Formats: sequence, structure tokens, C-alpha cells
Amino acid sequence: MELAMGNIQDTFDPKPKKFIVWLFVVTSTIMFGGFTSYYLVFAASKGKGHGLVLPDAFIYSSIIILISSFTLILAAKALRKLNFGLQRNMLWVTMILAVAFGILQFNAWTSMVGTGATLVGNNAAISFIYVVTWVHLLHIIGGVGFIINALAGSYKNIPAAKNQYRMEIASIFWHFIDILWIYLYVFLLLNR
Amino acid sequence: MSTIALHDEHNHDHADHGHHKETLISKYIFSMDHKMIAKQFLVTGIIMAVIAMILSILFRIQLAWPDKDFPFLETFLGKWAEGGRIKPDFYLALVTIHGTIMVFFVLTAGLSGTFSNLLIPLQIGARDMASPFLNMLSYWFFFLACVVMMSSFFIQTGPASGGWTVYPPLSALPKAMPGSGLGMTLWLVSMVLFVASSLMGGINYVSTILNMRTKGMDLWKMPLTIWAFFLTAILGILSFPVLVAGVVLLIFDRSVGTSFYLSDIVLGGNILPNEGGSPILWQHLFWFLGHPEVYIVIMPALGISSEVISVNSRKPIFGYHAMVYSLIGITVLSFIVWGHHMFVTGMNPLLGGVFMITTLIIAVPSAVKTFNYLATLWRGNIRFTPAMLFAIGLVSFFISGGLTGIFLGNASLDINLHDTYFVVAHFHLVMGSAAIFGMLAGVYHWYPKMFGRMMNAKLGYLHFWLTFIAAYLVFFPLHFLGLDGVPRRYYAFTEFEFMKKWLTVNVFVTWAAIMAALAQVAFLFNFFYSIYKGKKAPQNPWESNTLEWTAPVEHIHGNWPGEIPTVHRWPYDYSKPGHDVDFIPQTVPFSQTMSSNLPHDFEGNAEAEKIQQEWELANPVQENKG
Repeated sequence: MELAMGNIQDTFDPKPKKFIVWLFVVTSTIMFGGFTSYYLVFAASKGKGHGLVLPDAFIYSSIIILISSFTLILAAKALRKLNFGLQRNMLWVTMILAVAFGILQFNAWTSMVGTGATLVGNNAAISFIYVVTWVHLLHIIGGVGFIINALAGSYKNIPAAKNQYRMEIASIFWHFIDILWIYLYVFLLLNR
Repeated sequence: MSTIALHDEHNHDHADHGHHKETLISKYIFSMDHKMIAKQFLVTGIIMAVIAMILSILFRIQLAWPDKDFPFLETFLGKWAEGGRIKPDFYLALVTIHGTIMVFFVLTAGLSGTFSNLLIPLQIGARDMASPFLNMLSYWFFFLACVVMMSSFFIQTGPASGGWTVYPPLSALPKAMPGSGLGMTLWLVSMVLFVASSLMGGINYVSTILNMRTKGMDLWKMPLTIWAFFLTAILGILSFPVLVAGVVLLIFDRSVGTSFYLSDIVLGGNILPNEGGSPILWQHLFWFLGHPEVYIVIMPALGISSEVISVNSRKPIFGYHAMVYSLIGITVLSFIVWGHHMFVTGMNPLLGGVFMITTLIIAVPSAVKTFNYLATLWRGNIRFTPAMLFAIGLVSFFISGGLTGIFLGNASLDINLHDTYFVVAHFHLVMGSAAIFGMLAGVYHWYPKMFGRMMNAKLGYLHFWLTFIAAYLVFFPLHFLGLDGVPRRYYAFTEFEFMKKWLTVNVFVTWAAIMAALAQVAFLFNFFYSIYKGKKAPQNPWESNTLEWTAPVEHIHGNWPGEIPTVHRWPYDYSKPGHDVDFIPQTVPFSQTMSSNLPHDFEGNAEAEKIQQEWELANPVQENKG
């Protein structure tokens, strides 16, 4: 017990932890794979999909989330150049865009309800749109958590390696939920 | 990647000059040390196993003596056993929760949670998991899942009772039966917590194995335990999320009124508005997890027995690479066989045929593993430690239960055998008993590593023989009930003429089950007594090669004082000809074992081969020794 442990280098190695985030991305992909395969089997066995013209708000939210990925790339670039001011600003912009995305999703749901395509009804394919966009929105909330984490790292004076790591995991996750949204939107467009 | 020296809070240890002293809470409760978390998983798993076993005894009593009153049952169970007889609703709850606890809480969390946590860092040479915090969270989510599941015994309507597979509509309509109400909600909440726990654990295991192996520990030098835990974790990562997707839709059906799984239902004389869904879709999503799940249960047990059998046969494991490739084969195949649980759902016969072929192909890697176990035992210097007996027991159950899998995998036979006691007998042998025996083998083998003390071997033998015999006495007769068409989950055999003749068999099986349950007292006493009073363990009690036995008996945070040992060889150099003792730990370099080195040890390193040849020319006498 009293053996000297002084020669152990207590190092911060971000690689295993970053790998954890990647694995989480895998699990999440599989879950949405589960959702969309439900939809495919459902549509194939019933011979019908949701049959809706998707609300325009989904187009706007797609554009917003693409821009948010871009601003996050700018933030990461700024950090690499040690321009902390620009990094923070871009992170804030990303966060505002995330909120806008959430508002647009609510907007889309409202307009769907307005056309009579409600969550509870006799077509599970329509209910599916609500569920899957809602679960995606939960991921956006998680992503905002990652961005806040990166922001906090930037404001507090934590070591550069940790700061970089926080920025990187935020980027991995945020770009993933961006791509995920595009996938879901295209999926719903193609499988009417 | 820049690796900058920092003071990481996870790597503090006792010897760290006294500051940051561990408190009771940080050491025993919210511990982030993988060894403590392993123990937490194990003790929780054992408690859940005891509960599940008691539940099984309760429904076995009902099956054996459906016409008899047992006043003590009313004392314990109150209105669920009015007049001393278990009510039908409660009977269904008992089988449901028994299945749920055993499959998920004992054989997934209790097994993987314990041994992946204990052995991954110790056997690959890491200080701890990739994320100790996530690891701690994984345990506490599991603990909460257990608490929520057990809380359903304390509500008016009782626990979920639609079977552990929770098929809709029983699970989707809160008014379908008493257990479909709050009990089912609690089941779903518990399962969401459980899946979160499993994923946090599994992701951590994979990341740790891929990123944190010590110097020299390449993938082909990993013990088979690690290979098994690794592939098990991958299975979990790839299959549990699909269950989450299914459960989310089920929760919407239950709570919001959607129709993902519901259509054309009349409940209590009323036509329900739900339209357009299909319960078969739940079965697809469930079994896409459910089938990999049975391999999540058995693969860690197979990995543990590979290690235990090799160590106690004092022989290298037979076919190390074949063992790994069979595990990989099982992992891949397990994703394309789920349809064999659904042969009777009106599946297209062509699709059924495809699932049948993929299912039967699993027999190949399973048989490779079985023959490799037997070949490892063949002419070994076998040491019959309790762990070894349980590992051999696993092989026995894996064979006898696996054979009936070939019957059930055939669509044409399965249509007759589906949902009968034949299925119950099959999976209780091949994944129930086999996995439990693998887990017990692990407990007896690594107990010294966990608690620094030895378990009593005599009690271990008593435990093994009683359990082994009783398990066969319980499950073997059930095959014949199944062949006769007796359906599982039925409350009383007295209600059906053709089932009455099996009542006497049920009495026999119940007595055997009671014997098996009593045998566990020997284990429980041994386990808890030895924590405090067991013989102190030496550092390497089984003379084993793997890295965990090079760590000090006293647990320290960070596992090894000083540097982490470097690995030079594979973990199965037992009884190597030319060496003076019958084991060579992985940390021993080839330069210290010149008398036993073989040409293929050097993996084509020409210089090392040359040095070896020169040494052999210079030392011709030792060449002929042994």
C-alpha cells in the first residue's frame, strides 16, 4: 500500500473518452435505424405511408441546422487558432440556432395538427413523424448540453487539452445530430 | 493527439501522500474504482438472483399442488394468495418477473457488469475504465432499475404479467389485465434505466479494450475472457438501442393512445378506436434485441470457462484462434436469426426458411467451442477446483441444451413445439443453467482477486454437485411435457384433461427445484462468510498466467504500484515443454524462458529466432530435458 506511485504519470488522454462519444453515436444511429425500420415494415405491410405533404417548417429547420454545423466548424477553427473570443461567439450563435431549430419543430407539429394529421389517429405512420422528430429533439437538447460544456470550458481557464477535447466531442455529437436530421427528413420525404 | 500531464482526479490512490482521503461514501457507495463497481454489480446481482429464485419456487409450488392450500403463502403474499393459493394473475406476474430478473438483472448486469468491470482493466493492463464516472453511473442506473422493478410488488395491481417479452396488446393496453396497469409502466421505466445502464457499461468496455491495453498486449494476446466481454459489449451496443426504439413506441401506445402495435381490439365488450398497427412489429423490434440478448448472456460465461478450463487443465486452450473466430461468428449470426422466435406469426415460409438456415449455422461456432473445451480437458493435469467443476458444468449444459436448439431452429418442428415446455427446457439449460454456471465459475475463480480471501472448497463442491444434479432433474423432464404439447405459462394443469397426467412430474420437478434452491444456501453462506473469515489469498492462487494475478492482493486505486506490467506472450503458456514450472505468466519475456521457446513464439522475428538458435547450440543438454 505504501509503495511509491510517484512514477505513474497521471495524464489526460482524450482518446478513450472521445471513442466513447463515437460509440454513443453508433448506439443512437442504431436506435433511429430501429425506428425507421419499424416504419418501412409498417408501410410495406399496410401498403401506405404517412401520405402527407410535410410542413415547410421542416425545410427551414433543415437549413438552420446546416448553418449551425457550419458555425460550430468556425468555432472549432477559432479555438485551433486560439481565438477564444470568436470561438465563444460562434458557440453562442450555434446555441441560438439550436433554439431556433426547436421552435421550428414545434411550429411544424402545430401546422401538422392544424391539417388534421394528429399524433393520435388511425395511421401509425403519422404518429411516427411526431415520435421520431420528438426523439431527435431530445438529442438536440443533449447536443446543447455538449455546447454549453464547451462554452464553460472556454470561459473557465481549464487546460488547453481539456478545452480542445470538450470542443471536439461537442463537434462530433452536433454534426451527427445534424446529419441525423437530414436523414430523417429525407427518409420521410421519400417514404410517403 | 497531445497528451499533456495533468492531475486527473480519477487516478488518486491511497498511497498518494494522504491527501484526498477516501470517505465511506466515495469508497463503498459512489465509487469510481472498477473493482468496487464490480463487487457492487455482483452483490446486487446475487440479491436479484435470490429473489428470482424465490419467485420460481412460488410458481413451482402452484404447478405441483394446484389443489392444495398453503396458509404460509397467504401470510407472506396477502391477497395475492388468498386462502393459501396463488392467484392466476399473480402466477403470471411471478413467471414474468422471474424471467425479467434472470435475463436482464442477473445474467446481463450481474454477469457482464461484474466480470467485465473486474477483469477488463486488470487483464489488459489498465488503471481503470475509459470513463470511471460513466462506469459508476452505469451501476447506479442498474440499481435504480432493480428498485423500480421490485417496487411493482408493492402496488395494488401487482407487477407486469404479460411475460418477459411484454408482447402487445397485453403490454400496450393498461386495462387489459391487472398487471398491464401501473406494473407494466414500472416495468418499462425499469427497463429504460436498465438499457441506459447497459449501454454506459458496454460503451465503456469497448472503448477501454480498444484504447487502453498495456504495452505488448495486442488483440491476439488478450485472454478469451476479454474477447468474450468485448464481443458481448458490441452485441449490447448494437442491439439494445433497437429495444429502446420499440419501447418508446410502446410507451406512446400505452400513454398517449397511438396505434403503433394495436388494431381491431375489443376489450370488455367495447371496440377500441386503435386502428392500423400490428403487434407483430413489436415482436420484430423486441427479438432484434432479444436474440442477441441470449448471446449477451452466454458469451461472457463462455469466455470465463475458457479461462477457467485452461488454467485448471494446466494446458493451453485448444484452438485459441478458433475460439475467437467462433465468438465473432456467433456475434455476427446472432443479428440475423431473430425470426426463429416468430415462426408461428404467419411469417412467409421463404423468410422462415432463411431464418432457419441462419439459425442452424450457429450450431457450427457453438460446436467448435464445445469441442475445443473437450480437447482442452483431454489429457490435462486437471485440478478439480470448484470453479473448474462449474466450468465443466457449463460445457455439459451447453451441449444438452444446445442440442434441443437444433430441434427448435427447424421451422417445421418449432410450429409444434412453440410456446411449450420444450422451449422452457431448452433455454433454461442452454442459457439459464449454462450462463449461471459460467457466472459461478467466475465467482469461485476470481473471488480471491475480488476479496483477497479464498472461498471454502468443500462447500463449493457441495454447492456444485447439488446444483448440477438438481438442474438436470428440474429441466430434463420438462422436455417431455413439451413434446406432449403442454403449453408454458399455464396456471393449473388440472384444467385440461391431457395435461393431468403430468401433475406427478410437476411434483417431482418442484422438489428438485427446492433442492436446487437449498443448495444455494451453501453458496451464499460461503460467499458472505469468506469475505470476512476466508483463508487469506496468495497473490496467484491458481498459478495462472493472466495479468490480474500480477497485481497486489491489496486493492489499490490504479491496480499496479509503479508501472503497468508489459506483456510478452499469449496467456495460455501452461505446461510448456522445457520449462521448469507448468505456467509462464504473460509478463515473462522470452529471454527468460530460453529452454522452452518454440520457433512460432517469435512471430517471424528473424533476429530473435537467430538468438534462440545460437542459445540452443550452446546449451544442447537442456534441450533434451523434460
